Amino acid sequence: MDFFSQLTPMILLLVFAGTLIGIIFGSIPGMTATMAVAVCLPLTYSLGINGALALLLGLYVGGIAGGMVPAVLLNLPGTPSSICTTFDGHPMAKKGEGEKALKVGIVASLFGGLFSAAILFFLAPVLADFAIKFSYVEKFLIIFLALTVIGSLAKNMLMGIFSGILGVWLSLIGVYPVTVGGNGETRLMFDFMEYYMYSGFSLLPVLIGIFGLSVILLDAEKGLKGDGDGQAIKLTKGSGFSFRDIKGQLVNMIRSSSIGTFVGILPGVGGSTCSILAYTQEKNFSKDSSRMGKGAPQGIIASESSNNALTGGALVPLLSLGIPGDSTTAIMIGAFTLQGIQVGPLFINSNIDTWYMIVTMLVVANLIMFAAMFFAIKYIAKVIEVPKHLLYPIIVMMCVAGAYAINYGIMFDVWVLLIFGVLGYIASKVGIEVVPLIIGFILGRSAEVYFVKSLESFGNFTIFFTKSPIAVVLWVLIIISVAFPIYMRMRSRRGGDAVQSN
Amino acid sequence: MESNFLSLFDVAIDFEQSHLFFPRIVTWVLLIMLFIIVIRERKAILPGLSRAGKAVFSKEGDFDRFRFFGTLALTTAYFYLMYAVGRMFPNTGYGFLLMSMPFIFLLSLLFVGIKTRRNVMIIFANAVIAPGLAWYVLSQLFNITLP
Repeated sequence: MDFFSQLTPMILLLVFAGTLIGIIFGSIPGMTATMAVAVCLPLTYSLGINGALALLLGLYVGGIAGGMVPAVLLNLPGTPSSICTTFDGHPMAKKGEGEKALKVGIVASLFGGLFSAAILFFLAPVLADFAIKFSYVEKFLIIFLALTVIGSLAKNMLMGIFSGILGVWLSLIGVYPVTVGGNGETRLMFDFMEYYMYSGFSLLPVLIGIFGLSVILLDAEKGLKGDGDGQAIKLTKGSGFSFRDIKGQLVNMIRSSSIGTFVGILPGVGGSTCSILAYTQEKNFSKDSSRMGKGAPQGIIASESSNNALTGGALVPLLSLGIPGDSTTAIMIGAFTLQGIQVGPLFINSNIDTWYMIVTMLVVANLIMFAAMFFAIKYIAKVIEVPKHLLYPIIVMMCVAGAYAINYGIMFDVWVLLIFGVLGYIASKVGIEVVPLIIGFILGRSAEVYFVKSLESFGNFTIFFTKSPIAVVLWVLIIISVAFPIYMRMRSRRGGDAVQSN
Repeated sequence: MESNFLSLFDVAIDFEQSHLFFPRIVTWVLLIMLFIIVIRERKAILPGLSRAGKAVFSKEGDFDRFRFFGTLALTTAYFYLMYAVGRMFPNTGYGFLLMSMPFIFLLSLLFVGIKTRRNVMIIFANAVIAPGLAWYVLSQLFNITLP
């Protein structure tokens, strides 16, 4: 167990700092865990892999958990994944039970976080061992499956798939590198762009632009008024929290955490989905759901344990297949690349110490999140009042520092930040979905190599169907992932017609 | 017979042109999907465009043109000037430091709701302290390249 010696006080301090900054970001409505990771990225450049991951995992866990604070006090989810926390959290706060609501949420978050860390620890190595046997054909199909799953779970399936393919297209701009067996020629651009765009768009400026700058543009357009329903509710003495409030909720916690972890494993499915799924399942299965929506702790438990379980779940495909599970882990892929580490099926076995560190730090981040929020919730509740007109300019500044330093001082990367900030803004206006776009962008180049190399060596398109039993299974999954949502939509439409004709 | 059928799917990729093989497929798929989307949403596109046009060019509605375009203009100027000033002092990060201060001050002023004396003082302090701290931590402590 060599890794224990790497668990230095410095690492623990970084997890602590990350978690605390994450909670603050999560607590401010409109600022998300993804934004926190994007903004703090430049700090990790000189930290080394363990330090970088310590900070980023802390930010991730803290950012998701912090989202419950404005959800309860402002009726406004701090991050999309806290959407269902508002249903019961805010009514409780109105009754003077704000502190109780938050502490129930904190306990649920801790449970969800630890549950998913355990799943990550046992599932990721198994999945990676399985994926090591994959040839280029299966690897291409896995990416194809990831894109169809993302697309089909988007609000509008056609738009979701379109966004994913657009991401792939954007990633292909630039050279087809010799290092991966390409011919070193550039494509999808004009000659004069070659000087700037020879290697295409760098991943991190693209991500920082879409998740940092475009959010600010969207808010500037609204005049920064915020869209809550007025004043934050102050935490009063009221009725405090006791562990009796979560008595009999173990089944709920386990179910919601499982939902959260599973949704996290599916690539590109956001936290809001898992919160809603866990909430509706609790409503369907609990013995007494009559008080849900009016201030029942069980609703908060469902939402918060599922969204914190997302963190460990989203790391499973990242560390075993190299496919990010959500937007925050997408940025983490960039951080890994910066440290010269390739995530994929080989990652765990060739970086066994780093792997143990990741799981340990995830657990530590959850414990710190719990301690910090449980005992200091009164102070954290004040953070939601920090004005955005002070924060947003600082975020733009940090985005610039991050983008500029990524390739050791390339000004073009800063302009990429602006380009994708505006693009992200336009995308959200015309209905292009950002997360599928990003995941397509991240996986696009690998998809090309796997696709072209498979065809170069086998010389026939049918190889994608006949290579192995795994390929056939993957095709079945691809077909299900496309057909299932179509079936569900047709069924609900038919149901709607029946109601209308009655 | 069967082998004849399968040979329909034969493909030979010319190495010289291999950089175009996958992008061509993706571009076609993208265009076809765009076509389908345009056909499906044809009724919503024109009203949507006119709504967007109205929001941007007319003064009515919720679209805060001043803050939106102000943000864009300030950010563009900030990026450009940072680089220009940074070239005067290479490898010091002064371009970042010197331009971030006015940028943060102006953007905060643009965003703030009510400009009381107290608010402006806080904004001013924030605009001096935040870039100073960021510059010190990033370039001096962490040795990170800044413009």
